[in-house]
Amino acid sequence: MQFRHVLTALVLGLVLPTAARAEDTIKIGFPIPLSGPTAVYGQPILKGAELAVADINAKGGVLGRKLELLPRDSKANPAEAVRLARELIVKNGVEFLGGTLTSAEAPAVSTIAKENNIVFVAPSAKTSSLTDPAHIHPYIFRAASNTTIEGQSGAIVMSKFKDVKTVATIAPDYAYGHDAVAAFIAKLKELRPDITIVDQQWPQLGEANFSSFITAQMSKHPDAVFCDEFAGDFVSFVKQATPLGYFKAIDNRLVDGGEVGSVDITRTLGSAFPVGIWANTYDPVIWDGPNQPKEDITFDEKVEKAIGTKYGSSWAIQGYVTIAAIAQGIAKAGTTDSAKVAAALAGMTYQTPLGPRSFNATNHDADAGEFWGVMVMDPKYPYAVIKDPTYYNPAPPAGG
Amino acid sequence: MTVSLIAGQVLSGLTTAMFLFLIASGLSLVFGVMRVLNFAHGSFYMIGAYLAWQVVSWLQPMGADFWIAALAAGAGVAVLGAIVERLLLRHLYGLEELYQLLLTYALVLILGDVAKYTWGTEQLSVHRPPILDGGVPVLGTTLPLYNLFIMLVGPAIAIGGGLLLSRSSAGRMLRAAAQDREMLGALGANVGALYTFMFIISSFLAGLAGALITPIESVVPGMDVQIIVQAFIVVVIGGLGSFWGTFWGAVIYGLTLSFGILAFPEFSLFSVFLLMAVVLIVRPWGLFGRPIR
Amino acid sequence: MSVPLTRTLVRPAAPPARRVPWTLLIFLLLLPLPWIGSRYDVFLMNQIMIDALFAVSLNLLLGTTGLVSFGHVAYFGVGAYVCGILMKTCGVPFIIAFPAAGLGAAFFSLVFGYFCVRLTKIYFAMLTLAFSQIVWAVCFKWDAVTGGDQGVADVPFPDMHWMDAVPGLGELSQNSKFYVLTLILVAVSIAAIGQITRSPFGRMLTAIRDNRERAAFIGLNVRAFELSAFVVAGGFAGLSGALYGIFTRGVFPDYVYWPQSAQVMIMTILGGMNYFWGPAIGALVLDWLNQEITNYTQYWPFVLGSILLVLLFALPGGVLGGLARLGGALRRWTARDA
Repeated sequence: MQFRHVLTALVLGLVLPTAARAEDTIKIGFPIPLSGPTAVYGQPILKGAELAVADINAKGGVLGRKLELLPRDSKANPAEAVRLARELIVKNGVEFLGGTLTSAEAPAVSTIAKENNIVFVAPSAKTSSLTDPAHIHPYIFRAASNTTIEGQSGAIVMSKFKDVKTVATIAPDYAYGHDAVAAFIAKLKELRPDITIVDQQWPQLGEANFSSFITAQMSKHPDAVFCDEFAGDFVSFVKQATPLGYFKAIDNRLVDGGEVGSVDITRTLGSAFPVGIWANTYDPVIWDGPNQPKEDITFDEKVEKAIGTKYGSSWAIQGYVTIAAIAQGIAKAGTTDSAKVAAALAGMTYQTPLGPRSFNATNHDADAGEFWGVMVMDPKYPYAVIKDPTYYNPAPPAGG
Repeated sequence: MTVSLIAGQVLSGLTTAMFLFLIASGLSLVFGVMRVLNFAHGSFYMIGAYLAWQVVSWLQPMGADFWIAALAAGAGVAVLGAIVERLLLRHLYGLEELYQLLLTYALVLILGDVAKYTWGTEQLSVHRPPILDGGVPVLGTTLPLYNLFIMLVGPAIAIGGGLLLSRSSAGRMLRAAAQDREMLGALGANVGALYTFMFIISSFLAGLAGALITPIESVVPGMDVQIIVQAFIVVVIGGLGSFWGTFWGAVIYGLTLSFGILAFPEFSLFSVFLLMAVVLIVRPWGLFGRPIR
Repeated sequence: MSVPLTRTLVRPAAPPARRVPWTLLIFLLLLPLPWIGSRYDVFLMNQIMIDALFAVSLNLLLGTTGLVSFGHVAYFGVGAYVCGILMKTCGVPFIIAFPAAGLGAAFFSLVFGYFCVRLTKIYFAMLTLAFSQIVWAVCFKWDAVTGGDQGVADVPFPDMHWMDAVPGLGELSQNSKFYVLTLILVAVSIAAIGQITRSPFGRMLTAIRDNRERAAFIGLNVRAFELSAFVVAGGFAGLSGALYGIFTRGVFPDYVYWPQSAQVMIMTILGGMNYFWGPAIGALVLDWLNQEITNYTQYWPFVLGSILLVLLFALPGGVLGGLARLGGALRRWTARDA
């Protein structure tokens, strides 16, 4: 009898402290749209974040503690994102925040992060106002590319078309589209002052019907087009533009900065994809060329398994990178104290499956370029692929 | 302003118009006869689109037949509409419109999540039927064959529906029901069955419209919310309850949009809301509606 | 099984002597929350209070006057933007920005309402929707003033230093101080709306709701009354919007998007639109459910839609209506035993 009690006490004495330690995870709040039109990005980004947590925990976690991800559906609504951020911080005790997607959500949560001194890393918001001098604070970090990099990369690609004299633009009518096109035009003027912009079209964000915009643009007979349509809008745009002869008229010289080289889009469009255009993506996944980093190959296989669709998604990388950056920041600071982690992250170089990236020391933007290339149909693969994906990262002007 | 530019904008405007008419016609029918403004009409449209994609992917191994998919989608949504009408809507007929509006909004919420659960959140695409690939040159611009098809289907439905309403006995009863439901019931007509029939037709049209849109637009979550406001604008401009009014309302909407893009490239957002507001202020019952108090 | 609608529409008037000062009671009940509740409870209650004011303002149109407005968010949004822009961009103090928000919203309701009240029923609803979408489009596009689709982020807190003078309030955090401020403003506003509802003006509105034609026949200028109700409701909606912008620390065009109008209407009906406090109860239930359920599932819209269905078929009088029926049934049951 007595021996049993002693044995139980011994076992409990050994088990309980470890159980207590297992509960002491580093919680990372992750509000992101999981419903509505923007969920096409939100869902894969979340998967990437979950993969990062799994990978890091498999190696023992950070500072001896495991990571725990708390995802929530922000519905692409900034007020809901704010509410969730507050709930995650106050009720769930998260020590770090990641996520949000749209250009309204990210600044909204950034304010809450500032208020509560919590490090917040945004995986996909490209809006420049997130980290501009009026809004920057020690705790906000952007793992996404930004509209300046995107527009400038597009200009670099466009400038290589020697026989192009007139260019048109078509981009969604909101801050993201306007900023990217502005950056494109500024850089293009610098590289090719001989090119004139002959037409600009601004379809609504979420526009389903592009026909009238397409015909209006075609009437101006541009030699080439800079397009910034993305996701479902791009799909609709292509399906309507092709039979109108749009791509033929410009000889496929369309440069799209909206990550339409992503496997998510090429898979959707299948054989209807307008091959010959130039597109970009965060992660080509299907790498039609040499030099794919080995870590990326492994990573993409894991993503495919996690998502369950062929080739997974090109967007998961951004979720992965967000968590990886936070973890590496904690490791560098040697503590989970937010102020110290924030200081550690500023100017830090972090490792990702696609190579090293770093946060700018002043404006906390990642020097995240994207992979560009011309889209081709390679018989080896079922969908259009980027030929020889090349990493473009024009250095943004100092200070963002 | 060249002829080809004008031709291009007119044709693209008419394509927009006919697509909207396909969707708005069902909405208009239901409102005209049953005085129910069906928010869930956009959801039926979206389910039709998803169903069409689903059937096409099932038929893929044996040569995907788009037309079968389109009809199947229409039929599927018609069944859904029948269930909704019989089980839910009919209990609310005598009550204030608010309750019917809220019911249809509840369906928007529910059907949206059902679609998300079934088909996920990725954008989907359906290929054009090969017979309608390519385009014809018209006045210096190109008219895609599929758009031409839609521009013919739209008026066909309008004429067919219009004839049905004016010539057939069922149509006569529907128009009578719109005027005075109780009297019609007192005269011995089975108003309940009539309403169900109406709702089924409307749902079929919505589902068919959703299916027919898939070759030219992506199927994404949120397409239900996006389309319903446009359909409302069309129906309001044309006249709530007037079938031909909806047709012309759609034409005005499409052309306003396509020429608005030329005139005010960055204000396409406003042109149609303003149009709706102006019509409602100046002629609240729409251009072709009968003054209804 | 369902109670005929007419029975739920008639509300017995309470003789003045028996009227309970609910507003005061609820104020006293909620005041201690920053001390006895958790930080998150304070956030949640703050949101509920703001939504309650918004819903009560809508009910001035819906339940009291019988006007189904589908564009009430327009005035909420105008209030939020006016206050947010004045405070953030122009550095105007809250004490001016707040009433300015109400006045701005009232102004827009006057302009839009003038056209809307000329219509009835579905046309009225559609025109209110049209105007609210126009407001949304302006907020979305007018980058220079409204910040466009990115909105106005980082709206500052009002200057609440005067609270330090009150014993006990000084040691509260910014968020808790704002909670107390919201409580005071919302309580006063709701009390004001209550006064209006119970006044002769309010009784005219219910007469219009019950039978518009008869009200016109007995000489009421129906349109003028409806427009006045519209303006008052819009003004208070603007005040709630102003508070919301500060609470969320930002003002965004999503506030004015039409599903938000449906959301507040659901709150109003959920609580019971035939009871003055119904909308407030609806706000409480809906906000609480939202935060509970989103912790477990992504499918909140499905849940909300189902709740709405249950409401429409089983509980048309809302929560308070259901409680009233329960109370009535209990009274009858106990009376039978006696």
